[in-house]
Amino acid sequence: MRMLQRSQASRLTLCMVLLLIAPFARAQDSGLGIDLQFGNALDPSGLEPSSGIGTLGCDPDGASWLTSVRKRTPTGFLYACPPDHPEFLLGGEWQYRGAFSVGYLGLSGDQDNMLFSRYSNWDDGLYLGGSFRYEKPSDGSYFDVRASRINDDDQYLRALYGRAGKYRIQAFVRSQSNVTSSNARSIWEGIGSNNLTLNGALTPASSTSAQVAAVSASQPEQSLVVVRDKQGLGINYFISPRWVAFGNISHESRAGARPFGGPFFFNYPFADNGGAYEIPRPIDDSTVNLNGGARWTGSAWRMEFAYSGSFFRHANGTFDYQVPFAVRPVVPGLVSPLLTSGQFAYEPENDYHHLRVNLTRKIALNGEFSLAASGGELSQNDQLAPPMTCTGQFGIPVIPGNLYDCANWNTSAALSRARADLAIKTSMLDARVVLQPGRDVTWRASAKYDRQDYQGDYDAFNPLTGQWGYPAENGAQGSVVPFESGIWDPGPGASNITRIRNLPLDRELLQFTLSADVRLNTSNSLGTTYSFDRTKRGNREVATTNDHSLKLTWHNRTFDWLTFRANYTYLRRTGSEYEFNPYEYTFSTSLPGFVIPPNGVPAHTVSAMRKYDVGGRTQHKADLMATFVLPSDMTFYASVRGDWNDYSAVIGRRGYDALGGSLQWEWQPTTATVASVWYGFDRSSLDLANVNDAALTPDPVLGGATYPEANRWWSRDRQRNHYAGLTLNQTVGRIKLDANWNWSSSRGRTSYSFNSPGALTTPALAALLTGQFPDMLYRAHAVSLGVAIPVNRSFSVRVFDRYERGRVSDWHYLGFENGQVLDHRVDTDGGPTDYSANLIGLAFEVKL
Amino acid sequence: MREFVVMTFATVGLFAAAAWYAPVDAQQGDAKPNPHNLPATSLGDRLDDRLDDRLDDDTLGSRGRTGHPSIAASPGFAHASVANNPAVRDAKPVGQAVCMACHTLESKSFAHTTHALGMNVALAASPTTPTCEACHGPGAAHAKNPTARGLIIAFTHDGGTPVETQTASCLACHAGGARDQWLGSVHRRNQLSCSDCHNPMAQSSAEGLQAKRSINETCATCHQDIRQQFNRRSHMPLPEGQMACVDCHNPHGSINAVLLKTDTVNETCYQCHAEKRGPFLFEHAPVRESCLSCHTPHGSNQHALLVAPIPMLCQQCHSHVRHPNDMPNEQQLASGLAPDERVMGRGCLTCHAQIHGSNHPAGPRLHK
Repeated sequence: MRMLQRSQASRLTLCMVLLLIAPFARAQDSGLGIDLQFGNALDPSGLEPSSGIGTLGCDPDGASWLTSVRKRTPTGFLYACPPDHPEFLLGGEWQYRGAFSVGYLGLSGDQDNMLFSRYSNWDDGLYLGGSFRYEKPSDGSYFDVRASRINDDDQYLRALYGRAGKYRIQAFVRSQSNVTSSNARSIWEGIGSNNLTLNGALTPASSTSAQVAAVSASQPEQSLVVVRDKQGLGINYFISPRWVAFGNISHESRAGARPFGGPFFFNYPFADNGGAYEIPRPIDDSTVNLNGGARWTGSAWRMEFAYSGSFFRHANGTFDYQVPFAVRPVVPGLVSPLLTSGQFAYEPENDYHHLRVNLTRKIALNGEFSLAASGGELSQNDQLAPPMTCTGQFGIPVIPGNLYDCANWNTSAALSRARADLAIKTSMLDARVVLQPGRDVTWRASAKYDRQDYQGDYDAFNPLTGQWGYPAENGAQGSVVPFESGIWDPGPGASNITRIRNLPLDRELLQFTLSADVRLNTSNSLGTTYSFDRTKRGNREVATTNDHSLKLTWHNRTFDWLTFRANYTYLRRTGSEYEFNPYEYTFSTSLPGFVIPPNGVPAHTVSAMRKYDVGGRTQHKADLMATFVLPSDMTFYASVRGDWNDYSAVIGRRGYDALGGSLQWEWQPTTATVASVWYGFDRSSLDLANVNDAALTPDPVLGGATYPEANRWWSRDRQRNHYAGLTLNQTVGRIKLDANWNWSSSRGRTSYSFNSPGALTTPALAALLTGQFPDMLYRAHAVSLGVAIPVNRSFSVRVFDRYERGRVSDWHYLGFENGQVLDHRVDTDGGPTDYSANLIGLAFEVKL
Repeated sequence: MREFVVMTFATVGLFAAAAWYAPVDAQQGDAKPNPHNLPATSLGDRLDDRLDDRLDDDTLGSRGRTGHPSIAASPGFAHASVANNPAVRDAKPVGQAVCMACHTLESKSFAHTTHALGMNVALAASPTTPTCEACHGPGAAHAKNPTARGLIIAFTHDGGTPVETQTASCLACHAGGARDQWLGSVHRRNQLSCSDCHNPMAQSSAEGLQAKRSINETCATCHQDIRQQFNRRSHMPLPEGQMACVDCHNPHGSINAVLLKTDTVNETCYQCHAEKRGPFLFEHAPVRESCLSCHTPHGSNQHALLVAPIPMLCQQCHSHVRHPNDMPNEQQLASGLAPDERVMGRGCLTCHAQIHGSNHPAGPRLHK
């Protein structure tokens, strides 16, 4: 079920706007921007939108009259055969070729299954495709259009108009789908809107678990889909042989819904209390991206000046959801005011500006010196939502200082400021030199400076009440546990621990690299690179990290039949002393007037924790690749890759190792046959350790009162994956056959060990534990077969079938088959499920 | 900021000194043939005259040195010159008619490319404009001895042309832009040629004259390990043809890690996920550090490209007192004896839903 209707009118309006600003737009390339690929699951390459993959076979004449040996890349891989493009037809000054097709797609089986339809949202219906190219040989003008439509959510049209070597204008419209759930059971109505209301059979904050479970179970399974509709326009223009101007603009709107959270405090320690909701949140926003600039290329100098901008806008600043369950205080006999709804802030509207200059000059010793500088800003100034949406009161009555008037918190006047007013300013400078004093030696050196500066502070201070903090979890936490409202005041709440300000995350990088490549002889070359990164971070556990890395490369072509490449990288990250709690100043404990609780301020975390994104690390990484040139127009490729990481952590991520290999065989014996087979394997192991706290004491030391040795535990997540694929394109007479098979088999196993039942939430269950979670499995087969039968030169028929089967088991969702409401937990998404689906297509293709 | 300004000026000063005082061969374009065939830096250079000097009257044929005055060649092709083949420095160009006498079928495939379209116009405008030889170098030596390797710039495995000669030929027209950092790129350092990824002789792909049928197939020839990750349960939509490797990476080289097109990992992700850009009122530090703290970019067996199952993913960093540091186990699943919202379904994200950052004044814990 589609969640939102998209506005045709707004799309047309946008197209008009895009046309008006066309002269300032630019076509992207591999150096800048996105939208470089237009295709779909029927034709991933985008080369054959008129009829789907496999129809456009090899030119029967091959690539050359002079030799029957297939051409290979310098490494040794076989080039794709020249396609059998239709001949150009003459029409006045223009010549043209093209084809279009009309077909029908019929689906059966679990066609709506999320894993099957994820990025296609398959549906029965008309299939359209076409590609046309017009050329004007007299001046090099061309017009090229490709289009394909599987359904409303998966379609594109892309047109190019240009003159070879002079200008190129690109325009496109595309729709891309993302099926985020195919078995959602929603107890909310208004999916896709910013106001989710409970099903009519439920009463906000007054429903029982049984009532909610009944409503959930009675809901039909539905799909949650997010669709991106995008339009873009760009131009690349040769002002002169040296100067090229470029510009690009695109607009994308996203609409739909996806599973999301909804916190109303814990349920696991408090039966029939709290609330943990998975809501279908709305997605309704748009982004305009634009960039432009100019490039100058000469024999000695090169330079480029570019601007990029991006502007994200949402339809609504917040979205609300009603909740079915009431929360009640843990203090017997007390009753909290009802909390009927929760709220989220939508991701803020933001602006991005980025200016960049590249200068490169050839210098002595056949070298180059290049300099790149950029500066940018990410900013947002969204209107901030009031902290609460309630009316009346929230919190816990009777106990002094625990009951709050909503009127003091449901207004923007409760904020220290009405708008966010935040920005991150970025600046980057990169300089590098490459020298080639001889044919066999290359030296490089580079230096880079990159900085992100946070601008803007936010204090969680309520000027109406003089209190600091915020109502935690939509007011639920403070309605369940006394003195845990999330609000600090110098009175009864003077010992409340809560966040009181935002966390700026400045970062500064200095990077230096030295490298040298030496060609030992005509078939051997060696390379080495030393790199040093010094990163300074504000308000993080490690103020400065130092990364030293050494990379060695070896390239060998001793034998005509073998190209061998080997890379090895050693990295060691060290840094300043690890500070396990750099966040003190963002908590109420830093406020004057904070009263230390009788048992002290509980430790922020265990001091032995080492967060892996900034902590120490030693890495060894190796990469071996061999390409074998075999007789009879065959290629064999083998690779092995390994990555071993030691994080030197007692608590936290301790290690991550990965090892994998790939084999591939390609064969092009004639222009009638193209075949390939591949197999891959990889495995990884991620180790972590943690410790359960035993008491709320100030002691942060592992083995101390808060984090006793007995409560330590360890976990290992191991992944094993096998993959294989086969493709065959065969021409028999005029008939073209194509076959594809793709298979993957994954098994993930998460195991654990612990020192004592103290590591557990429920120690009594220790005896029942097996030491591991049920295996996480994913096995998928996809087989497609097609045959194209030309009736005459202009008309052909193609029949194709695609069968997919998937088996999946994700332990997060075990038990959901018995209902998606457990006590005060409500899950909307049923999780990934097995599927078996078939797609059959019949297409009629007409060539011009 | 002060450091930045100082470094900028210091580097620019060094750059300027190098530019003006270093003896640079390439800067002497007016004095001798330009080895890189690019328009010389000094404005007003007579490239056409140089080209004419390198062609025989016989080569020019009946049209001589004058083309069709009504035809204007596009700037991208008009100033092409014969590629430099160091193996045959004295060889002369022979013109495309001579090439096509033998390479008829090659020219048939080539005719479907935009290169061919532009070159033919340039040739019609000025018969001195090289076409085949703009890429393959002068053909005289090869024509005399066609089986000898290296006498013509070949872009194939057995062609006998060094990789650097091949790439220099391509960069003669395609220097700068996306290729600006080619000289220091990892692909160049691994001895790859342009023609390892591109085949300009045929329109084999929809985009970019690839050696295979698509950009993604081309990259996968060497990067099979990455290709296979796209077969995992959650993945970026490359197998579905919705995006290409080059949406994130610049295979020609960049100044950033792993050939990213933008200054940071996060900026690359923001190209499609602009809503994650923020800045947020309340940030999640590892998210701002790098999206890759929690996500793997190509494919994962976990939900949403996560690097580990939740809640273990979160517990790699969180051991705060109370709820984050209990050891999760199978009895906490919906099928177990002690169901726990921290482990089942969305796990931690059920409550900390705004894991990428919250813009709600009541969202410091990423609850809102």
